[in-house]
Amino acid sequence: MKSSFGWCRERQGQLSKFWRVVAYEYQRHVLRRRFLFALLSVPALVVVMALVVLLIDRAENKNTPIGYVDHSGLLAQAVEPPQSSSFERPVPIIQFESEAQAKESLQAGKLQAYYVLPSDYLQTSQAELIFIQPPSSSAQAQFRNFIRANLLKGQPQAIVERITEGNDVVVRTADGSRQMSQKDWFNILTPFIAGLVFVMAIFTTSGYLMQAMVEEKENRTMEILLTSVSPLQMMSGKIVGIVGVGLTQLLAWIGFAIGGVMVGRNYVTWLNAVQIAPSALVTMAAVMLPGFLLIAALMATVGATVTEAREGQQVTGLITLPVMLPYWFSYLIISNPNGPMAVALSYFPLTAPVALSLRMGFTQVPLGELLPSLVSLTAFALGALWLAGRAFRLGMLRYGQRVTLRELFGQPAAGEH
Amino acid sequence: MERKGMYTVEVSHVTKSFGAIKAVDDLSFNVGKGEIFGLLGPNGAGKTTTIRLILDIFKPESGEVAVLGGPMTEATKDRIGYMPEERGLYQDIPLERCLVYLGSLKGLSPTVVRQRAGEYLERFDLAAHKNHKIKELSKGMQQKAQIIVTLLHKPELVIIDEPFISLDPVNTQLVKGLLRELRTQSVTLIMSTHQMHQVEELCDRILLINHGRAVLYGGLDQIRRQYASHAVLVKSSSELPALPGVEKMEAHNSSVKITLASGTSPQQVLEELVKRNVPLEQFEIATPTLDEIFIRVVQGEAGPVE
Repeated sequence: MKSSFGWCRERQGQLSKFWRVVAYEYQRHVLRRRFLFALLSVPALVVVMALVVLLIDRAENKNTPIGYVDHSGLLAQAVEPPQSSSFERPVPIIQFESEAQAKESLQAGKLQAYYVLPSDYLQTSQAELIFIQPPSSSAQAQFRNFIRANLLKGQPQAIVERITEGNDVVVRTADGSRQMSQKDWFNILTPFIAGLVFVMAIFTTSGYLMQAMVEEKENRTMEILLTSVSPLQMMSGKIVGIVGVGLTQLLAWIGFAIGGVMVGRNYVTWLNAVQIAPSALVTMAAVMLPGFLLIAALMATVGATVTEAREGQQVTGLITLPVMLPYWFSYLIISNPNGPMAVALSYFPLTAPVALSLRMGFTQVPLGELLPSLVSLTAFALGALWLAGRAFRLGMLRYGQRVTLRELFGQPAAGEH
Repeated sequence: MERKGMYTVEVSHVTKSFGAIKAVDDLSFNVGKGEIFGLLGPNGAGKTTTIRLILDIFKPESGEVAVLGGPMTEATKDRIGYMPEERGLYQDIPLERCLVYLGSLKGLSPTVVRQRAGEYLERFDLAAHKNHKIKELSKGMQQKAQIIVTLLHKPELVIIDEPFISLDPVNTQLVKGLLRELRTQSVTLIMSTHQMHQVEELCDRILLINHGRAVLYGGLDQIRRQYASHAVLVKSSSELPALPGVEKMEAHNSSVKITLASGTSPQQVLEELVKRNVPLEQFEIATPTLDEIFIRVVQGEAGPVE
């Protein structure tokens, strides 16, 4: 009775050591300045890009007025069209009595261009655009809206809206489990972007892990750690800690994205169509978590076997390459998301996370394919954890000497019995 | 016959190779509870490998190691304090955080570890630096921090590699006092060092290894007696006369070393000197220093001990 109690307490002590390693590794990276930079760099980049696009748009789309000469009489009592987007700079639309007057203004630089609506405009739908330099697309769009609003003047509100918005083809699977609208292009892109963001988070954070391990090896902290905890506790603690760091980064980015969409909705109408199915999120998480564990464990294995950080970075190429491979074949995967290439890449553990996230955007991945893929991914992740523990035991104290692949996978080497 | 379990550390017939090189070759020794044990040897003799074998960082190819009554387990690790030769502390974090983390990995609760770290920081005069990053501390301070990490969890066995190497005389004294204090608390201490005068001052027993094999093993006094040459050291203000039963007289520092012929005792030499009215300032049996023994043994005067 007493001994089993003692054993229990000991187990508890060992378990709490594992969590102490997890907590320390998590804090150690999250509290660093470089983590904060990595965290803020992505949203900052997005904001800067949005600002640049806006500025270019501003520079290109001058708000010099557009003129028109109406021979058809349709615009006799013109109404203003509804404002479509607050990002667009409104271009004043000025009526001219004669083409001569309009031309004079154009030549004086007071107009970007002017339209001439012939008397039979309603029949032909042909208008003439006169310019010295082509007017901005935004100005043309605003004039089209202006015409549309005036042609529909007097129609019921619902009809006006329906015609203004245009058509929207919705593709739906036979069982109704999934549908895709023409206007949902953002939702198609989401898995694509999510895959990319995931890969970025994985590689930055597991890069930290590898670097930290090489450092610990170089300054001999490892010896102190090894005489306090077991190699498996150390290794799994470090890996779980770093996965926590990666998830924090991902959650923060997702938070920024949601915040961005919420704020952006007020200005950009198509953002209102953005919605992500919870089932897609669950599948995504189910793929990404073991994927993350797998890659982090492999990076840790590299960290345990190499002798300096630079060498480690070269070896990580061998991991980065297959993970990014599906992007090289993205055309094949997108055009045939259930084709042999797409399916094969979903079964191979290193390519599975990106391959699956790409496919998810364009097809419903059958459960019969998803499950074996997840099982193999998880099995490989656990195998990689074991490998990391072994590499750690073999490699940690062999300063200046690399662990060979044969030692890693083969017979117990000199250091182990 | 030695009974198993009597000793804090029992190493029996342990061998460990790296490739073709035998770093430790059929090594056996025991360390008793509460003693300060010196592990000595020239560079590359296998001292660090021996320590790593004791700590289960390396597994031996053959032979057995028992620590604190049995093979090393995760629970045993909490009862051991280890300070490696190349100091291993996290460089980028504040001193106190480093101490608290490494102490907590030895099974201490956060409250206890914080309190003890505070006490040790005061004692080692590091309290003012507790929020400084380790890399900002001087070498001596880092070494003191390392000693704190080694002792924080009140280990029963302390293994310490070159404890005095970066310390100034004041801190050397501080650490020596601490090690002596540990002995009074029955803590077992294995100390590996090149500083022979420290070993002479502190150690009860020593093991000298060369090429992975034990070449000298036993109590310090016994070893020195064993290596005592048949000679006396004499210092006098006048010239020493020729004496019967003397093989050779040679200058030795400020005194004269008189090597005696077999059959002559130091007592007889003293009587002869007194008889001749030689004014004596010093007369002592010439026991070699540990340094001398070390050099003699390593340079091949003694074969491995059985």
